[in-house]
Amino acid sequence: MSVKKVKVGFFSLTCCEGCEFAVFDLEEKLLKAFDYLEIVESRVLMEKIKPEAVRLDISFVEGSVISKHDLDKLHYIRKKTDFLVALGACAAIAGINGIRNALPEGVQERMKQKAIIPVKEKAFSLSAFVKVDYILNGCSVNELEFLDFLNRVLHGVIPRLEEVPVCFECKLNGNACLLLKGIPCLGPVTYAGCDALCPGQNAQCIGCRGFTKDANFKSLDNLLKEMGIGKKERFNLFTYFNPLPKELRDLRGGSE
Amino acid sequence: MNYILKKEDFPKFLELLKKKFGKVIVPAKNETGATCFQSYSGQELFLESRTDFSAKEFFRPAKEKMFSFKKKSSSFEVKSEHDNTKKVLFGIRPCGTHALSTLDELFIKFLGEDNFYSDKRKNTIIIALQCNEACENGFCTSMGTSQASGHDLLFIERGHDFFVRAETKQGTDLLDPTLFKHTSDAEPSSKIECKNELDIEGLGENLYANFNHSVWKEESERCLSCTSCTQSCPTCYCYTSNDEFVFGSGTESERFRVLDSCQLQRFTKVSGNHVFRPSREGRLRQFVLHKFSYYKKYHGMHLCVGCGRCITACPVKISLVDIANKIQKHPLEFQKHSLEAKK
Repeated sequence: MSVKKVKVGFFSLTCCEGCEFAVFDLEEKLLKAFDYLEIVESRVLMEKIKPEAVRLDISFVEGSVISKHDLDKLHYIRKKTDFLVALGACAAIAGINGIRNALPEGVQERMKQKAIIPVKEKAFSLSAFVKVDYILNGCSVNELEFLDFLNRVLHGVIPRLEEVPVCFECKLNGNACLLLKGIPCLGPVTYAGCDALCPGQNAQCIGCRGFTKDANFKSLDNLLKEMGIGKKERFNLFTYFNPLPKELRDLRGGSE
Repeated sequence: MNYILKKEDFPKFLELLKKKFGKVIVPAKNETGATCFQSYSGQELFLESRTDFSAKEFFRPAKEKMFSFKKKSSSFEVKSEHDNTKKVLFGIRPCGTHALSTLDELFIKFLGEDNFYSDKRKNTIIIALQCNEACENGFCTSMGTSQASGHDLLFIERGHDFFVRAETKQGTDLLDPTLFKHTSDAEPSSKIECKNELDIEGLGENLYANFNHSVWKEESERCLSCTSCTQSCPTCYCYTSNDEFVFGSGTESERFRVLDSCQLQRFTKVSGNHVFRPSREGRLRQFVLHKFSYYKKYHGMHLCVGCGRCITACPVKISLVDIANKIQKHPLEFQKHSLEAKK
């Protein structure tokens, strides 16, 4: 029985290409899926890509939009793709590239002037410009979540985005709470799906999977303040991967 | 019948159990520093107080396979899962034994036999450990759960040995005569006094009558919805189920039962993405009312055993004892909700 294979492409905008590597790190586990899919475009895997490549069923796009070049590429990908997936924090929430969005205006302006290539005033996630059909968040992307996504999509099901905080998975794993130990942690406001990798290793969660819709920023900020974390540290922690939540506007600028 | 086990013989006893049953579950510290129940393999035991996480994992696991199904040409082949491994659970506290009785009420008596639960329950021998001191946030004396019930053996720590009370035949069978000696000593007193106190007289009815009390909003404002409370709770059993495809098969799938939490919005998400309990206030109220009002009304007992784990686990120090006490002391003047009238 011959199956019509799903055509897949991997694309990178401005990023470290780490997410693509995380995915290809799956090696044999990923090979199992090759009966059903065909990778048509990938800079990491292929020596030469035919520029006029065929229409794609699924595109995985990593990286943020920081220049016109990125934006043109993104529109080109969107046009020839049926299902576009933002792969990793840079694509989904602007991630590390977005750190500069939280800097003071003057610094941002100087960065723009000194950049080697012409850049936009801010770093943007994909959804700022095009329709994104699904998000696989994280820095880097969780390869098991990727595999689960692929498995479901190949079976014709589009998975739901799980709207649970990191704490949920952290407690499922039986980890001690970092906040109770006095270590600042963004677990309560960050989407799960990473199997609470960092808190499980006694390292604080820094929100790489994006803030939840249901997050209680005010309360977490108060808790961190009571723990003796200064205003600047709190600002840095909250804006590591994410734009500053509007509930925490007061954290911007100045010291305690 | 009462027995004495010397403390130096205690590891020998655990080894013996392990040899006989293969799996012995004991309270110990995990690598992150949290105390929980885990399989015994010679590690140091945590016997000072109750554990941070309950023994729920061994009766209602966070993720449990229910069955797998496979598509045949014109039908489905379904294979059900059964867990018939014999095991011994040592070190569960009196509150924990009551938590199991509470779950028995639902999963064995009320729903008929839920085999995923009852298989595990029947195949586990329970050795309870009496508390000599009140734990940090416990209020078991208020809930009437400070004395163990439904266990096979009860261990009471006293100085250099354990005083052991056998309750059942299968418990007595575990007592190896080379380690356990008969005793005619009187049972050591095991009366503890918890700092937390809760007046449970008419509590369920009263909490429900104060459905619109301001305390729900005040307390829930700092709730992070992190679900630590429901997950550390020994009686929180709410679950959802997931289907997972066997990778690359195309025709095989497995169904899992997964622990859920009422503190999440997705808990009440229904078709059309509608969430019918969106507010934090409502979610916290559901947690407390389910424990004291609804379960009491439909099953005749509280769904809370007073272990205080939810209070210890909460990063922002929300306490259901404080909430209940505040309402008991200052109820609303005009109460329009009545548990009696609730269908």
